[in-house]
This record gives sequence, C-alpha cells and structure tokens, in this order.
Amino acid sequence: MLQENPAEQKRHKKLIVIWSVTFLILFPVLIALGLLMRLNQGEVFKIDPGTFYALMTLHGLGMAGVLFSFSWAALFYLIGTRYIKLNIGLGYLVYLLVLIGTVGLVIASLIGKFAAGWYLLYPLPFKGVSWTGWSTGLTIVSLIILGVAWLLGSLHVVYALAKEYGSFSNLMGWQYLGKTEPEKELPSIVLITTASLVPAILSFIVGAVFLIMNLMQHFEASLTFDPLLLKNMVFFFGHTLVNVTMYCCVAWVYVLLPEFTKRDWKVNKVVVYSWNGTFIFIMFAYFHHLYMDFVQPVSLHYAGQIASYMSSIPATVVTMFGLIVQVYHAKIKWSIIPMAFLLGMAGWAIGGFAAVVDSTMSINKILHNTLWVPAHFHTYMLLGVVLFILGFLFYLAHNNKEERDAVKPGLGFWTFVFGASGFLLMFYLGGMKSVPRRYADYTGIDIGNVHETGALLAKTAGGFVIIVLIGLLIMYGSLFSKLLKASK
Amino acid sequence: MNLIVPLITVQNFAGIVSLIGAIVVLSVVLFLISSASSYEDKHEVKEKVYKARKRYFIGLASVAVILFFSSLQFLPYPKNQTTPADKIVTVVAMQWTWKMGEGVSTLSPHDFVGTNEITLPANKSIQFVVSSMDVNHNFAIYNSKGDLVAQTQAMPEYENQLYYTFPEPGEYAILCLEYCGMPHGFMTGKIHIN
Repeated sequence: MLQENPAEQKRHKKLIVIWSVTFLILFPVLIALGLLMRLNQGEVFKIDPGTFYALMTLHGLGMAGVLFSFSWAALFYLIGTRYIKLNIGLGYLVYLLVLIGTVGLVIASLIGKFAAGWYLLYPLPFKGVSWTGWSTGLTIVSLIILGVAWLLGSLHVVYALAKEYGSFSNLMGWQYLGKTEPEKELPSIVLITTASLVPAILSFIVGAVFLIMNLMQHFEASLTFDPLLLKNMVFFFGHTLVNVTMYCCVAWVYVLLPEFTKRDWKVNKVVVYSWNGTFIFIMFAYFHHLYMDFVQPVSLHYAGQIASYMSSIPATVVTMFGLIVQVYHAKIKWSIIPMAFLLGMAGWAIGGFAAVVDSTMSINKILHNTLWVPAHFHTYMLLGVVLFILGFLFYLAHNNKEERDAVKPGLGFWTFVFGASGFLLMFYLGGMKSVPRRYADYTGIDIGNVHETGALLAKTAGGFVIIVLIGLLIMYGSLFSKLLKASK
Repeated sequence: MNLIVPLITVQNFAGIVSLIGAIVVLSVVLFLISSASSYEDKHEVKEKVYKARKRYFIGLASVAVILFFSSLQFLPYPKNQTTPADKIVTVVAMQWTWKMGEGVSTLSPHDFVGTNEITLPANKSIQFVVSSMDVNHNFAIYNSKGDLVAQTQAMPEYENQLYYTFPEPGEYAILCLEYCGMPHGFMTGKIHIN
C-alpha cells in the first residue's frame, strides 16, 4: 500500500479533474454528432452523405477514444493514489498526446471530410471520393499518436505494478492457485487492471502495425496489402479496445463499491480463474466480427463463438454474483454512486447478453451489420461504461463518505437512464426489422417497409437522445462546480 | 432458413431471447435494490449466494454447450452444403453497384460484365460466388417483406460462396451492408424469382 503524500495526491487529483472536465465537455459534443446522424436518418433534416459519414467516423473514433482514455485515467488515479507510485509527468504526457490526436481527428473529419468509418476498413481509406487525401494521412497519424499515448500509459501502469508485486504471474494472481494463502494480498483492481491492460497493449501493437501499413500505402500508392489480414488486425484492435474499456471500469467498481456496502471485494481462487479466463477470451472473441467473411478458416469462426460464449461465464458467474454479495441485505444508502454502479452492471449484462446472441454464427448470418450491432454496443457503453464513469465522477466530486451518501440519483440521473433506454430500444427494434447500420438515410431502400421503419425509429431515437442530453445537463449543474472545487 | 420453427424468424428469436434476458437482469436489480434496506451478515449472504452461483454456473455452462452445438446445424458456410447447387451466379461488387451473371466467371472482377438485376428460379439451390473489384462490400438479400434472409461479404482478392434457396416467387432486393463510401446506401440490386 502506498505511503500517503499530500502533495502527490493533490497533483493526481488535479490531473484526474483535468481529464474529467475534458470528458464532460467532449462526451455531449460527441452525443450531439450522434443526434445529428439519427435525425438525418429520421428525415427531420438533410445532411449530405459525405458530411454524414464524416460525422459517423468522428463519433465512432471519438467515443471509443474518449471512453477508453477516461477509463484508463481513472485507473491511473486510483492506483497512483492508493497502491503504488506512478509517474504523474507521464500521466500529463498521455493527456497531451490524446489531446493532440483528438484535435487531428477533428480537423481530418470536419475540414478534410475524412469518412472511412472508425475501422478504416482497408482499402476504403484510399478509395473514397468524398474526402481529401491529406485527411486520410492526418487520421492515420492522429490514431498513431493516440495509440502511442495509450501504449505508454498502459505499459507504465503494468510495469509499475509488476515491480511492486514481483512478476506478471503475481499480477495475474497465480499465487492464489496454490494450497496456501499468499503472504502479500493482491488488490482486485491490480488483477483486473493487468488482465485488461496486457491484452490492450497487444492490441495497440497490432493496431500500430495496421496503421503503419496504411501510412506506407498513403505515401506509396503502389504498395498494397491483403484485405482479409488487415480486417483481422483492425477488428482485433477495435474489439479489444472496447472490451478493455469496460473491464477498466469494472476494476474501479471492485474498489469503490465496497466503500458503500462495507463489504470487502477481495481476490480469491475463483476471481483469479475468472479474470485469467477473461484475459484469454478478450483476445479471441473478435473473430465474431468476421463471420460473414466465408473465406476465413471456419475454425476461426468457431473460435469466435466459443470465446464469445465463454466470456459470459467469468463476467456473470464471478463479477455479477460478486456484486450480489456486495449489495444483498447490505443496508446501503442508495446515493447516485452505488446506484450508477449497480445499473452499470445491469447495462453491461443486458448489452453483453445481446452481444452473445449476435455472436452465434447462425444468428449473426441475419443480424450482421444491421442496427442490432450498434444496439448491443451502445447498451454496453451508454448504460454500462458511461454509468460507471458518472458514478466515478460523483465519487471524485465529493470529498467524504457523508457527502457521497447524501447525493441522491435525482431528476438528471433518471432522465438520462430513461432517455438512454428509449434510444437503445429503437436500435434493437431496427435490428429486428433488418434496418442496416451505417446508412446516411434509408431513402435508397426500396423493399418492404425498411425505409419507413428505419426513418421512424431514427426520428424517435433522436427524441430520446435529446432526453439523454437534458439528463446530462441537469447532472452537470452540480457536478462541474463540485469537481473544480474538489481539485483545489 | 428459420432457426427453431418456421414461424420464428432469426430476428424475432434474437429479440425475444434478449428481451427475456433483459427482464431477468432488471428483476434481479429491482430485487437487490429492495433487499438492500435490511442487513444480514456478509458471511451468511456469501454462503447463500455462492450456493446459487454454483447452480447458475452449471446451468449457464450447460445451456451454452447445448446452444453452441445445436446452432451449428444452421451455419451459412459452404462447408455445410451437402448437395451441389442447381445454379451458380457470379456476383461482383463495385463502388456503387452490383454486377451479376449466371455461371462461373473466368474473368477478373474488373473484366467481368454483369447487370444489377437477375432472374432466378424458386425452390432451387443457388450458389452465389461473390467478390469485389475495389473495396469491401456486403451482399445482403432482402425478401419482399423487407426481412434480411442471407448475406456474405464481397471482398477484393477473395471469393465468398453463399448458398441460398428462394422459397417462393417474388421480388428480392440486394443491399450493400458494408460501408463502402458516400453512396453506400444506394448500392442496390434486384433479384426476380420465377
């Protein structure tokens, strides 16, 4: 356990407040891009398709980047203030690089109109007609900067933890698998951080190679690569990043929720097996993104379904039941913080379940690239990751237990949850009605009622997004000023 | 092509199963919120919950194994095709239209000439040989009700084989389901089934 150093704690607090304010500004702006997209699909107004897809690209890259960056930053703060000494200067460097990368992406998409989607599905970045050549290069470079930031940040945390706890195997909790209890206790946040950030590091390396290959083609057009290989690489990177974002959040729930339930949430054999399993499954589940690539070896499709199914076991058997042990008959005061954590777990479970359904090859053959896909990952993000982040932010904004117990989930919180649920329901219904994803609008679809249904659901979803934004705004009223005060 | 019984489409099956899952999760949440006003010792809670967890683990693992194996008979891959197709159709995707023609093409995707409308017979197994001459696309077939019934990726440098038997005469639409650039939403084709 770390020796408390008030000056160091203050510096950590300042950094996390900077991250928090940045998150609180960027998040609704990125939601607003989504709102524009849904209202355009709902034919409330007309955006030209080139602009629509540029907004779609920025929304996807921005949300994934901001949510991962913040979940890493929160881990950096909690680990750095409670367990081991971390280099705050490096924390600022990561922040600066993320900021530079984000500005690059904004310029590339809003000015250069880069619109190849978050996944830069090779070779589309080089064969678009609605964006400028320089914006492709700027996007690739900006993503490399973001990747370097995340790689540095994750390597630093894992390295510092390994130094403190002895080895990688200790970080993964293998010392708990013997017959005797280990001498030094391994905090659950350390185990989960390792099981999350190590696969993340691997995915960043693969992502970096993918980006460098793209950069090479950007400068030398005659150079081309295998599209199936690059598809595997980008989905390994993207899927892992999104999964890891959730697991980083779960890591802090293991630490913060016990402060409200007064029940510890410790590492034991079952928890170790669970997160070691997750460590493996994270890296193979991405194959389910390639089910419709029939030329991919079928054994890899099988691996995708098995890993996706298996990943539900540790998540629900250990974390969800661990949550039940925490909360059941615990005499909790339901302030906004434990409520956000509890509902966040529910959002994770519901979105995760819909994801497992879609990871079944026989179902994916119909749901692939319909609105079912954004339905499940938006559930996982909006009612999972974002609720965890809100819980963390309210925790951070209040300095002691009394204050944290007193802040109730008020109108803003419930408005947000209601709006988010309605918004997500429209996506699920769209998936069930075979409405395709990534369509600027549905006017080109001349079969059945797909066009009319898609437009109606999109318009309704737009209404719910406005409710989400109102909920956020109400919460911001108290959150902003308290956060700034807490950093002083 | 339906999953469980002919009356339940894959879309409805996924929707119903996910809805049940969501209801179960929300019921547990409500139960937990209401339970948390009273107090019980953690060790007693642990004992009760861990017993339930063991049963849940065995149940979940069994359901996962059963679902995994039972779902394998509905795989869309050519390997699962036991009989040869009655007709072969070559499909080449390009930004932003489809080229289709009967038979196996020996030409490169660039040189292949086809149309984005084709007429095919009902109740015959059709093998679509799908590729692309530029970027990734997705060859998705919609029936006249607007339900997606089959799909595969159309990739440059690769050929995907999709087998489908059209159950009844009528109009089917082809949509591109992989984002491929600005006019992606208008990359459509037609299949007339006699």
